Amino acid sequence: MISATKLRNLLGLGAALGIWQLTVSAGWVNEFMMPSPMDVVKAIGALAADGSLREHLSESLLRVGMGYLIAAAIGLPIGFLCGMWKSASEVIRPVIEALRPIPPLAWVPIAILWFGLGDASAYFLVFLGCFFPMFFGAYTAVRSMDQNLINAARCLGASRWMLLRDVFVPASLPIVMPNLRLALGWGWMCVVTAELIAAQSGLGYLIQQSRQVFQIQNVVAGMATIGLVGYVMSASLERLERNVNAWAPAER
Amino acid sequence: MPHNATHIEISNLSKIYKSARGDVHALSDVNLKIKRGEFISLLGPSGCGKSTLLGIISGFHKPTSGVLLQNGREITGPDVSRTVVFQDYALFGWMTLQQNVEFGLKAKGMGKAERAEIARDLLHKVRLTGFENKLPHEISGGMKQRCSIARALAPDPEILLMDEPFGALDAQTRVMLQEEIARLSHEAGKTVIFVTHGIDEAVFLADRVVVMSPRPGRVREEVVVDLPRPRTAAVRTDPWFVSTVKDLWETLKPEWQKEEEEKA
Repeated sequence: MISATKLRNLLGLGAALGIWQLTVSAGWVNEFMMPSPMDVVKAIGALAADGSLREHLSESLLRVGMGYLIAAAIGLPIGFLCGMWKSASEVIRPVIEALRPIPPLAWVPIAILWFGLGDASAYFLVFLGCFFPMFFGAYTAVRSMDQNLINAARCLGASRWMLLRDVFVPASLPIVMPNLRLALGWGWMCVVTAELIAAQSGLGYLIQQSRQVFQIQNVVAGMATIGLVGYVMSASLERLERNVNAWAPAER
Repeated sequence: MPHNATHIEISNLSKIYKSARGDVHALSDVNLKIKRGEFISLLGPSGCGKSTLLGIISGFHKPTSGVLLQNGREITGPDVSRTVVFQDYALFGWMTLQQNVEFGLKAKGMGKAERAEIARDLLHKVRLTGFENKLPHEISGGMKQRCSIARALAPDPEILLMDEPFGALDAQTRVMLQEEIARLSHEAGKTVIFVTHGIDEAVFLADRVVVMSPRPGRVREEVVVDLPRPRTAAVRTDPWFVSTVKDLWETLKPEWQKEEEEKA
């Protein structure tokens, strides 16, 4: 049985698609400026059939994965470090706060200059998009940790390693994981940005190339794929979060 | 180590917190000797520094001045020979009760089978058999505190430090847990320091009630409680118990009223 919430969700999506289809079919907008949903579905089908969608999608996913892992490997430890050690935080946080307002898009020229056109530039831009939410997730998690939990572990004889693995990390997941999800969203946006300008493959490149040859239905097909994949990633992470953090008050 | 030997010795201990609005004298010149196996209640109104003193004995905070010895050696930090029971339980929410109780044993490097058995025994002692695989958020406050007591007892500490452990519980649960901790500590023969602002609770449990006065916190008087052990519900109607609680209430009332007025 489908729930009332799901029903309303579907109703909203259906209505939006319906209005979109109607405006095109009725000729209110030029079909060249805006393909109809049906055209987009057909375009996705065609791109899927000739294998190019799969190729571009896997390129994009690989890049977002690499950039994301690099950001996690750097951002999370620095965040934990700053949360635990005030002096380190006082040195590092001003630098991070100064860099944070610069949108990843503004880094594109530097990225091309440093890394050329291709994967490395994309990794770098994804890294920039993911780094800040990861850093702040780890930092906030440590700062908001219940001191009594740490004291409890210390008086029970926990070594530094045990304190980290068995207390710090699990206790911080309810704050870290939503930020990891946020970071993935940013990374996904950044990879497309990178591919629009600084790559020869990927969904962003597919959009850019299709625009140049006036295949507007493929442009929208690329956009729709980006939206769908982003939604699936976010939804699966959210589900994972709910399982891992089932113990935490906010999740109950 | 002979029984009745001094276990903890506190001499001229002071704690001053620096703050923007000036120094706060949390503790001033506290002197206290605690014998091995003795049950001490630290009694006083809020702001008398009793929890600060417990935090210093735990090793979580350093005194500003003074000496703090355990078996003649200075206390420099937290140690598994002194485990703590917190008012807010401080159970690890992502671990089952069994894993919580095993924590201190795992920290000692004890093998899986052995620590599982010890934890099961302790959970049985605090009447939590059948709840081993529950998470803390699935059980009541009284059960959480019983689990936290089991966790603190698991590594077999010399000293059990309890920081207003029953403060967040309802009256009935509190009475039941008082009787339980009286039994457990008697059986285990631990030195216990029990922080509370409940007069009857302090007298019911202790061999000696150490009464503290506020701002700056200092030891104001000590009352030796010579009631027989194990303490059971019958103690509460003992004439000496009743009159001692009443006397303490009369002496503490002015201070506590002042405290209330300052809060208002």
